[in-house]
Amino acid sequence: MVAIEVEGLRKTFKKGKVVAVDGVSLTIEKGELFGLLGPNGAGKTTLIKCLSTLLIPDGGRIRIFGHDVLKESLKVRRLIGLVTGGERTLYWKLSVFDNLRYFAALYGLYGRKARRRIEEMIEVMDLVEKRDERVERLSTGMRQKVALARALLHDPELLLLDEPTLGLDPQFSRVIRRFIKEELQKKLKKTILLTTHYMEEADELCDRIGFMSQGKIAACATPEELKEKIPHERLLEIKMAGLPDESLIRNIPGVEDVLMIVDNNRTVLRIQSPDPEGILATVLERLRKECRIIGFGLTTPTLEDVFIFLTGEELR
Amino acid sequence: MIIVYEELRKTVKIWLTYPLVLVFWTIFPIMWVIPFIFQGKAFVGALSSQAFADLTGTGQYIPFVIIGAVVSTYMFSALYGIGNAFREESYWGTLEYLIGSPASKGFILLGKALSEGIFSTFFALSQLLFAIFLFGVKITLTKILPILLIMSFLLLALYGLGIGLAGLTLLIKESRGIIHSLDDILYLFSPIRYPVEVNPITKFVSLFIPLTYALIAIRGILLLNKPFHLLITEMVALLLLDIGFLFFGFYTFNTLERKVRQTGTIGHH
Ligand SMILES: Nc1ncnc2c1ncn2[C@@H]1O[C@H](COP(=O)(O)OP(=O)(O)O)[C@@H](O)[C@H]1O
Ligand SMILES: [Mg+2]
Repeated sequence: MVAIEVEGLRKTFKKGKVVAVDGVSLTIEKGELFGLLGPNGAGKTTLIKCLSTLLIPDGGRIRIFGHDVLKESLKVRRLIGLVTGGERTLYWKLSVFDNLRYFAALYGLYGRKARRRIEEMIEVMDLVEKRDERVERLSTGMRQKVALARALLHDPELLLLDEPTLGLDPQFSRVIRRFIKEELQKKLKKTILLTTHYMEEADELCDRIGFMSQGKIAACATPEELKEKIPHERLLEIKMAGLPDESLIRNIPGVEDVLMIVDNNRTVLRIQSPDPEGILATVLERLRKECRIIGFGLTTPTLEDVFIFLTGEELR
Repeated sequence: MIIVYEELRKTVKIWLTYPLVLVFWTIFPIMWVIPFIFQGKAFVGALSSQAFADLTGTGQYIPFVIIGAVVSTYMFSALYGIGNAFREESYWGTLEYLIGSPASKGFILLGKALSEGIFSTFFALSQLLFAIFLFGVKITLTKILPILLIMSFLLLALYGLGIGLAGLTLLIKESRGIIHSLDDILYLFSPIRYPVEVNPITKFVSLFIPLTYALIAIRGILLLNKPFHLLITEMVALLLLDIGFLFFGFYTFNTLERKVRQTGTIGHH
C-alpha cells in the first residue's frame, strides 16, 4: 500500500521569486522509514509543510493513503503526526501533561480516554518524572520528547519528522533516533518521513533516502545503492591543521571531486579519484606548503561524498 | 465543543502564571475611566447640563459617559484579546499545530473569545464598582438582567469582529495597529463619549455599529428608566448586525487562513 504519493509538486514564495520545491515526485510505501537529506534551504521543510496541509502547493498533487491533501484535508490531518525541529512548539508556561491534554482535545480526544492515552505516551517517552513540570524548565531534548508524544497522541499512521534531532546533544540524538527506528517503525509499524542534514542520521535510520538539493530530488535509493553511485570504492582522506585552498587540489590531474570539512582550525579533505595512491604524493606535496598534515589514509565513501558527487553541493 | 473548554482552560492557566499582570489589569481600567469623568466635569461643569439633555433626553452627562466607558472598554479588551490571541500562538510557535489540527478553528476562537470575556468582565466590573462607589451611579437588579441580555447580543457581534481580526493578524502579523485604528473608528462613530446626533455623518455611520444600539439600550434602561419592550427596535437591529458580523468574521477568517497557507507566512513573526 502506498502511504505518500507526490506528483510534480511545486511551491514558490514571494510571488514566484523563491522556488522552494521544484517539481518533486516521490512515492513512499506504508511501513517505510524514508529520509530526505539535504543542506539548509534545499526545500525539505517546505515539502513537509505541503504534506501536512500547512502550505497550499502552487502545482502538483499529493495523496496521503489515497486521500488528496487539498480536497480531504481534515482526513489527512487525522492521519498525520507532525514534529518540527527547533525550540518553540509547545506552551512553555504549561506542564507536560497540560500541553498534551490540550493537543489531545484538538484531535477530539478528551476525558478518561485522553487521560489514559496521555499517561501511556508519557510512559513510552520516559517522561513520568517530568509529567507536571512546566515545559520551560525542561531541557531541549526533553522538549523534543514531549513534541514526539504530542505527535503520537491520536495514533497517526504517518509521522512527519522535520529535523527531529536538530540542536540536541549527541546523547539525546541517539535516544531519539533509537526511538524512531525501534519503537515507531519496528514496533508500532508507522510510516515515517524524516528530514535531516546529518548524513549519519539518514544512513543509520532510513530504508530509503532522497537527496534533496535546490528544490529537487537529485537521487532516491537505499543508502547502499546510493554509495555505489560513486565510481570508486576507496577515497583518499587527509586531515590537517589550517585551511588549504581547495582549488589547489581540484586541479591536480586525476582528482574528480573534493569534499572539504572544516571544523575550527581542523580541515578534513575527502578526495575522489580513480587512482588514490597515484595522486597521494602530489596532493601531500601541495598541501604541505599551506598546512600541517595530521594524518592520511584510504576510506570508503559516505553519503556525504555521494551527495557532493551527485549534486555538487555540500550538506552543511 | 470540548475544544472551547480546553482552550479556555489553557488560556486561563497561562494567565495565572503571570499574577502581577492580573493585578495590573484590575487597576488599569479604573485609570482608564477617570479621564472620561474629568472631561465631563470640565465641559459641563456639573453632573448635568441642559444642552446635553436636549440631545439625549437625560441631563446626566457623567453617568452617560461612564456607561460608554465601561461598555467600550469591555468591547476593546475583548477585541484586542481575540485578535492578539493568534499572534501569541505564532510567537509561541504553536500556531502551526493549531492550524494543522483537524479541530474547528471557530471553536478554538470561541474558546479564546470566552477567555477574553472572563477577563473583560473583571475589567468592566472593577470600573463599574468604582463608578458606583465614587459617583453614585445607581444600578438595580431588575435592570441588570436586560442589560446582560443586551451585552450578550453585543458580544455575538464582537465575536464576529474578533474572528475577522484574528484572520487579519494571521496575515499582517500585527494586531495593535489594526485594533487601535478600529478603536478610533468606533470612538468616532458610536456614542461612547458623546451622542452621535451631534453630526449627521456620525449619526449615519453609527447605524451600522452594534455598539450604538447596545449603548442606546443600556442607557435607556439605566438613565431613562425605559421598560425593555420599548427597546425592541434596538434589539432587532443588534441581532441583524450580529448575523452580519458573524458571517463577515468567519468569511474573512477562512479566506485569510487560506491565503497565508498559500503565501507561506503562517508562523513567521
Ligand atoms: N515562508 C517563506 N517565505 C519565503 N521564502 C521561504 C519561506 N519558507 C521557505 N522559504 C525559502 O524556500 C527555500 C527552502 O526552504 P526550506 O523548505 O525551509 O528548506 P530546508 O528545510 O531544506 O532548509 C529557502 O530558500 C527558504 O529561504
Ligand atoms: Mg528545514
